[in-house]
Amino acid sequence: MSLLQVRNLQVTYRSETAVSRPVDGVNFTINPREVVGLVGDAGSGKSTTALALLGLARNPGKITGGEVIFDGRDLLKLSEDQARAIRGRDIGIIVQNPRSALNPMLRVGKQIRLAYRAHNDATEAHARKQAVEMLRMVGINDPERRVEAFAHELSGGMAQRALIAMALSSKPKLLIADEPTSGLDVTIQAQFLDQMWTTVQDTGSAILLVTQELGVIANYCDRVLVLHDGRIVEDAPVREFFANPQHPYSQDVLRLFHERGGDFPAQTTAGKGFLRTEALTKHFPLRNSTKVVQAVDKVSLSIGRAEAVGLVGESGSGKTTVGRCLMRLVDVTSGKIIFDGTDIAGLSPAEMRKVRARMQIVFQDPYDSLNPRWSIADILGEPLRIHAPGDAKTHRDKAASALKLVDLDPALLDRKPRGLGASTLQRVNIARALILDPQFVVLDEPTSVLAPRARNGLVALLARLQAELGISFLFISHDLTTVRYLCQRVAVMYLGQIVEEGTVEQVFSTPMHPYSRALLLAHLFPDPTKRRVDYPVPAALQGEIPSPIDVPKGCYLASRCPHVTDACRAAPQSLQPLADGRQVRCMRVLNHEIPPDSV
Amino acid sequence: MARIEQVEPGMTLIVRKRDWLFIIGVSIVSVVCLLALIGPYIGPYDPTLTTPRVAYPPPSLTEIPGQLIGWISGTLEYPPHWMGTDASGYDIFSRVIAAPRTDLAIALAANALSLVLGVFLGLVAGYYRNWATELMMRVSDVMQSFPVFISAMVLVALAGRSTTNIVIALAFVYVPIYIRLTRAEVLSQKSRGFVEAARALGNCELNIALRHVLPNSMTPALIQSSVTIGFAILLTAGLSFVGAGVRPPTPEWGLMISTGANQIILGEWWPSVFPGIAISLTVFGFAVLGNALERRYEEGQ
Repeated sequence: MSLLQVRNLQVTYRSETAVSRPVDGVNFTINPREVVGLVGDAGSGKSTTALALLGLARNPGKITGGEVIFDGRDLLKLSEDQARAIRGRDIGIIVQNPRSALNPMLRVGKQIRLAYRAHNDATEAHARKQAVEMLRMVGINDPERRVEAFAHELSGGMAQRALIAMALSSKPKLLIADEPTSGLDVTIQAQFLDQMWTTVQDTGSAILLVTQELGVIANYCDRVLVLHDGRIVEDAPVREFFANPQHPYSQDVLRLFHERGGDFPAQTTAGKGFLRTEALTKHFPLRNSTKVVQAVDKVSLSIGRAEAVGLVGESGSGKTTVGRCLMRLVDVTSGKIIFDGTDIAGLSPAEMRKVRARMQIVFQDPYDSLNPRWSIADILGEPLRIHAPGDAKTHRDKAASALKLVDLDPALLDRKPRGLGASTLQRVNIARALILDPQFVVLDEPTSVLAPRARNGLVALLARLQAELGISFLFISHDLTTVRYLCQRVAVMYLGQIVEEGTVEQVFSTPMHPYSRALLLAHLFPDPTKRRVDYPVPAALQGEIPSPIDVPKGCYLASRCPHVTDACRAAPQSLQPLADGRQVRCMRVLNHEIPPDSV
Repeated sequence: MARIEQVEPGMTLIVRKRDWLFIIGVSIVSVVCLLALIGPYIGPYDPTLTTPRVAYPPPSLTEIPGQLIGWISGTLEYPPHWMGTDASGYDIFSRVIAAPRTDLAIALAANALSLVLGVFLGLVAGYYRNWATELMMRVSDVMQSFPVFISAMVLVALAGRSTTNIVIALAFVYVPIYIRLTRAEVLSQKSRGFVEAARALGNCELNIALRHVLPNSMTPALIQSSVTIGFAILLTAGLSFVGAGVRPPTPEWGLMISTGANQIILGEWWPSVFPGIAISLTVFGFAVLGNALERRYEEGQ
């Protein structure tokens, strides 16, 4: 007997200018205690479907047809009062943005109590006890104190946990989680999903997990539903889905996963140290204070000709600032940036402008990095006007061939960025960066805002461009799956320092530094044969990244490291080479005190 | 989302749905602009010449159809005074429709001047934040803390009563608004990705400021223009009313209200009321248009 049965569900949006049907005949079932993943591109109707299961639709949408049979009753035919009794009690929901989902005026405990008492006949005292219990259950330390906290006093990860506590307080039979980890860091994401999974094992709820991340699906779900164009186009057990996707859309999403196999990209040896930094440091002064934000601390990186180096770390680790320093978009505090034999850290703005023809950057947000008032032709023509004066016709031809290089239609030249999709815009950004044939390009999380399918396409494009054009890349990302596919070497950053650096194979197969280990353990590789929930995970990191203003005296990781000793807390660590050529910033690893664990 | 009928995105600022306020605003502004062009020539009388009929009342509602027929068939001995005449014998209707030339010209010139100056200073203040631009912001704070009418009156009184001085005075009192609006927008635009990208491409700062930041920061100021023009017309009329504006016999609404005001006590309401209605409608039209444009801009974001 299934818990939830959705038949031919339809949601229609009607405005004065357009009618659209984001959910158009959706059919699926969910069994008790099952974790079902719902994947699909942005705009495929995932969130609308999730809301419609509660009998709700965002204005101006309306549920225009179908049945949602939950526990033998059609939710869409119930009266508003009856439906409300089921929402929250039998079906819980967790939404995307945890902070905006919590009421900023009420203490967290009060909100859990309200949710609990709305559906359970309980005294205030009992509800209070229940709230503390729920917070404890979702893994919040010191729940007696945290029930008194307001939303702004919680970190993103903790606010998200408080929301699960609220959603699960009535032990619902079904929990709908709508992209619950979007915007959270990988380490926090894994902590959170682990916790949600464990908690649900206790309450016996089923989960509908709406997500775009294949890693999340592979590691937590039993079954996968693929939503495309408002319809379920595939419904398969998770291993079957990854091994043998049926629908063309699913095949497209999984293409990279299949193509990649187990091989690491081949190493390049030519032109070592084509771009390298020596003790690159960037401090941001704080207003009205003598303290500084230590964003980048003595980073020494080296990138060879035609080599792709990945720079990974949690947000706040300083990886983006390194990229901006290399491009001299911020002035460095100290250190050298040696590009093709010249130190560019001290060049005057005018001298630097000449160098810019040979080094470029692609930013994270494609919507923000193109001037909205310019046509694509103007945007692509700008670097040419600055560095390669010529007539308009030549510039236009070059712009057209740059578009072809990134697999776009030259007909886009006369369009403006407005109305173009993220993936197209990001390709335009890449075309602009490449139009002058640079030797070095910084890619600052170029895939982070893209949906999985578009991300695959872009990563494949970048791999092709690197092979064809022989450009050196610094690929800044927190997406380890992409780094593994694209880069030859990788540097792991933590709190402004490089803690481990080596070939992708070295770092990904046998990470040495406790932070690299934690990062790789937290990363959800899209491989359903090694599900996190099926294999016990070794000790992960505690808590969150410390503030870069008051950095710890000894090892920066000491407050979170499972292997910490008093010696670590006392002495700063330095980056030392290992026998196999990689570098690690951990005394205990160098002394062989921490045995390697394989991932 | 398949099966969606796309709307051309660039169209949103022009026509979207039936927005009555916007339509009313556009209609009033169009009529005023048209009158500024042809108003002085289409009235039944020369707006600067007196007629022998002094303080003649406007036709009553029942007389209007008869006068209209007589006027069209040409049987009247003189064209009807639709809004009456004032104490000097000027035809009020001809003067009311001739006045936009004066009022709108002054308001447009003043607005253009303060827009250019304010946007430029706002760009500088937003782009370069140092003690000099901070000082400029404080000065503009002080300027804004005076009532605009008093500032404008004092300026005209000091500089002398000429059209040029009125324009300069009006421009001066409205500059701080534009500085503030543009500066705020520049501050938010200059940290956007495409500005950083422009820098990475090797643009010099002047180029970035003029080609990337400025065009993307001007919309709020341009929208404010509509409101400012409306209030500049009101201020022009106000200056004339207190005798610090244009000189008679130039047809100008404020001046007409002022000369008519003395006769209100005698029951001659028409010399003041008609130009008063004209001012109210005009300011209302510009303000409504400004609001509608602003709303559209915000929705467009």
